[in-house]
Amino acid sequence: MSVPLSQMWTVATYVLGQKLRGRKRYPLVLMLEPLFRCNLACAGCGKIQYPPHILKKHLTVEQCLAAVEECGAPMVSIPGGEPLMYPDIGRLVHELTARRKYVYLCTNAILLKSKLAEGLFEPSKYLSFSVHMDGLREEHDEAVCREGVYEDAIEGIREALRRGFRVTTNTTLFDGADPHRMRQFFDTMMDLGVEGMMISPGYSYSKAPDQEHFLRRQRAHELFSTMLERPKRRWRFNQSPLFLQFLMGRRDFECTPWGNPTYNMFGWQRPCYLLQEGYAATFKELLETTQWDRYGRRSGNEKCRDCMVHCGHEPTAVDTTFASWRGFRDTVVATVTGRL
Amino acid sequence: MSDEEKSLEGWAPEIPDAAALADVVDHAFDYRGDVTLVLADGGQVDGYLFNRNRDVAEPYVQVFGRDGGDPMTIPYARIRSVRFTGRDTAAGNSYAAWLRLRQAAKAGTSR
Repeated sequence: MSVPLSQMWTVATYVLGQKLRGRKRYPLVLMLEPLFRCNLACAGCGKIQYPPHILKKHLTVEQCLAAVEECGAPMVSIPGGEPLMYPDIGRLVHELTARRKYVYLCTNAILLKSKLAEGLFEPSKYLSFSVHMDGLREEHDEAVCREGVYEDAIEGIREALRRGFRVTTNTTLFDGADPHRMRQFFDTMMDLGVEGMMISPGYSYSKAPDQEHFLRRQRAHELFSTMLERPKRRWRFNQSPLFLQFLMGRRDFECTPWGNPTYNMFGWQRPCYLLQEGYAATFKELLETTQWDRYGRRSGNEKCRDCMVHCGHEPTAVDTTFASWRGFRDTVVATVTGRL
Repeated sequence: MSDEEKSLEGWAPEIPDAAALADVVDHAFDYRGDVTLVLADGGQVDGYLFNRNRDVAEPYVQVFGRDGGDPMTIPYARIRSVRFTGRDTAAGNSYAAWLRLRQAAKAGTSR
């Protein structure tokens, strides 16, 4: 089991609480982007494409905490940009873990070893470093457009594990990914000792550099089916097994765009982490005034047609687990048996 | 650069009516560089247009000025024209462009 029982319990009681209150739309993970600047320029990432004066800006810790309180999600993911470049990252993480939020600090880990040496963080069941790893050395360094990053990341992971921190990996797979090399990658990450891995297909969103080479739905099913067929028991995924089944084409899920709401210096992003179609000033305004029926595969929106990304579909998988006895049973069976 | 990747940098469109303004503002919102808003009173605002909302009684844009400070909210009604004056940070940085460069580099080293 890759996620601590306390975290599973927190998420379970939170989701059940939402259902008992009859709340149709509830957030599961807040995507908190304190800044956009980064020390890499990965192929396929549009997050850093802003003028210099925007890249120099960042949220204050108080702004971050206000967003966390307003949203109420039990988990906070901190992507960017590169969060370790945020000047107050130590204080932000301390404040979030003190509030018993489960934090996933998403990092390329280039700065991880040095930041750990500075004593910015303390090991906690509430804090995980989620290290961006898009495959084995050749694939990863190519994806991030810089040689040597894979080795830096491995060093960062080892150091974090040595110091007692929770460490997971997050992997985005693009067109042309080799499923057999990915199976070797899973073995390598398990050999390193990471707690769990998260995988997702990449997506083409209008403000990202790529429009042509991201995975289309069908090819994605084929890729993930080959990659996850007869999964090894030693592989631990930090994801719902129902979401992995969805990636393999064995389940059909509609997107839950409000499940992982995004907050950054522009406000609350409509409608989701990937599509940037405007910003709301408050979380309430985001939920109440976004035209949600314009999004998701069923809407016919061409931007959503081939999307299978985790941030929109993992909340659906989690909701499915608690929406019926069948969903719960299927989740338990997949978790216990390891069969997808 | 392919047709799909062509940049709006340097574009200074004519804006004859409200519909045209709304269309240009949408382009400015999607644009990954600073713009210059020329206001009806003759003033100018240079900065990054990060938000627009026309689904309200008084449509507005929001801009972070190039010189810093808090975001500015400007009604569509005050905007006379939009010029795409800042560098397009997305130009030439598409995944397709990256793949072309990579393929060219590989072709070069294989000779």
